[in-house]
Amino acid sequence: MSAHQPSTDQPPSGRLSSGHRLEARGLTLAYDARTVVEDLDVRIPDGRVTVIVGPNACGKSTLLRALGRLLKPAAGAVLLDGQELARIPTKRIAQRLGLLPQSPTAPEGISVADLVSRGRQPHQSWWQQWSPEDEAAVSEALERTSTADLAERSMDELSGGQRQRAWIAMALAQGTDILLLDEPTTYLDIAHQVEVLDLVRRLNVERGRTVVAVLHDLNQAARYADHLVAMRDGRVVAQGPPGDVVTAELVREVFGLDSVVVPDPVTGTPLVVPGAPWVAEAEKAAVVEA
Amino acid sequence: MSSVTLRGYSVVRAGRASFLLHRRSALVALGLLVALAGTVVASLCLGESTVSPAEVVKVVLGRPSPDQLVVGEFRLPRVVVGLLVGTALGLAGALIQTVARNPLASPDVVGVTWGATATVVGLTAYGVVGSTGQAPYAAVAGGLVAGLLVYALAWRRGLHAQRFVLIGIGISVALSSLTSVFLTKGDGFQAQAAKVWMTGSLNGSGYDQAGWLAWVLLAALPVALWAARAQRSISFDDATAVGLGLRLDRIRLGMALLGIVLASCAAGAAGPVDFVALMAPQIALRLARSAQVPLFCSALTGALVVVLADLIARRLLAPTELPVGVVTGMVGAPYLMWLLIRSRRGGS
Repeated sequence: MSAHQPSTDQPPSGRLSSGHRLEARGLTLAYDARTVVEDLDVRIPDGRVTVIVGPNACGKSTLLRALGRLLKPAAGAVLLDGQELARIPTKRIAQRLGLLPQSPTAPEGISVADLVSRGRQPHQSWWQQWSPEDEAAVSEALERTSTADLAERSMDELSGGQRQRAWIAMALAQGTDILLLDEPTTYLDIAHQVEVLDLVRRLNVERGRTVVAVLHDLNQAARYADHLVAMRDGRVVAQGPPGDVVTAELVREVFGLDSVVVPDPVTGTPLVVPGAPWVAEAEKAAVVEA
Repeated sequence: MSSVTLRGYSVVRAGRASFLLHRRSALVALGLLVALAGTVVASLCLGESTVSPAEVVKVVLGRPSPDQLVVGEFRLPRVVVGLLVGTALGLAGALIQTVARNPLASPDVVGVTWGATATVVGLTAYGVVGSTGQAPYAAVAGGLVAGLLVYALAWRRGLHAQRFVLIGIGISVALSSLTSVFLTKGDGFQAQAAKVWMTGSLNGSGYDQAGWLAWVLLAALPVALWAARAQRSISFDDATAVGLGLRLDRIRLGMALLGIVLASCAAGAAGPVDFVALMAPQIALRLARSAQVPLFCSALTGALVVVLADLIARRLLAPTELPVGVVTGMVGAPYLMWLLIRSRRGGS
């Protein structure tokens, strides 16, 4: 390892840090012949929550996969601590960067504690399979995600929200400064969505973790993101704080949707309200008459 | 010492080193060893003449005994070969099921068994090899080539588990058709000899035909230990496994290669013994109740099934000795079904 590279033992950078440990430069991503993302630059602010939004098939999940070394770039590079991801041994990456795919699958019948304990793999070796640090990290992860009571339960028996908390606990036990989440709220009802996003927010604030998440819901993105990246057709259309970025023009440009953007009555962040729904001609006339 | 957060596991510490042990798997392994020892002694006792366990122990320990010839020369080599073949098949099945992420995958499905069979039957039927002398080499070579071919064809930017199984089935069907062609086209007497080989048999097995399998298994041990650890993350989906720092392609290639080599060698030593590689890991999984197929319990289960099946094969219609391959399904299948019916796990 070269000397100038920051050590992973450094304390996580605080929320005020303006560094960029993770960034993509001139990134082109393709599946076989189909190019999904072309010549994209993005810098992930340390210690912040970055949310990537955009319409279906805009390349947001593809970008996240590349940031997590699941997809090799066709051109350009993803840099972690200034070093090209492809050149860092995958286990070293796993010590610094954790990821939660969109629909992860666990071995059948595995208990929550067993699942979470497997997040410690990058810190273990053939002769160090379970250290006191592993033990501490797992119980802390269970504690923080409120899954300690579920520890003995089988993953198969849990509700969607509980299961997602267990997966996050596993990513947490991995003890990485950077966490990538691919649509962590998909398949959850609204209460569980809020629960998961609040958890992510807390981990960011209390532990200074850098979070990059792909979210479907623009309003949720505006509520939880410090930094918003809006994508369309494999390009970044706009990025910055949600208050600056989310406007009716942007929504039209990115999603092709007419909308009104008002302040969220609870948080004051931008709230996107789509234009009036379709109504039948007869109804329209009735509305006008009344 | 037990882990506080991780119930069901024990942690063994020695200085800075620490080892994680799934307690139930360890107990099951111990139980299987005891059952195996009992079955081995029973196999050595029972036969055309019954020998007392005390005399059997004497022979095994190398002490002089009047039953030295029957036990030491006739029965022991056969039991030892059965042990080796069963261990190899159980381990091969566990490895291939892990790589394919499919409980129905086994060396029989991914081309190895039919590769060995087609090669041996083809060469025997046309009189190129005698059915005893060179058959093991032909089987090993045929199994290896077919298994590697399937693996290579399933490769597309990494191994695709489902492709692996589907291509394996395709190649197996092609090779089984080819085997039928060899059997009908070949010389009648030779074809008959090939047919006997095809059922998988320990009849007349001696150390000279299978002693080398012991060395293969010994060499496989470190690879199996390495694979057993990787199993803790390989049993997740690909993205999660890579996220945990697993070198997925390398570990899968290693596991598949070892599985293919072991299954080919087992076929070389005893012919294609049906069903052991498929059911041993599934029986072991349900006994150990671990989250992933337990490699060592699978190996022990494989050994137990083959030795027990061979005992039944020898005694069921005595003095006629059945090929072990006929009985393995009869022994294992009902037990596996019983486990499936009463366990909380589904078949998926």
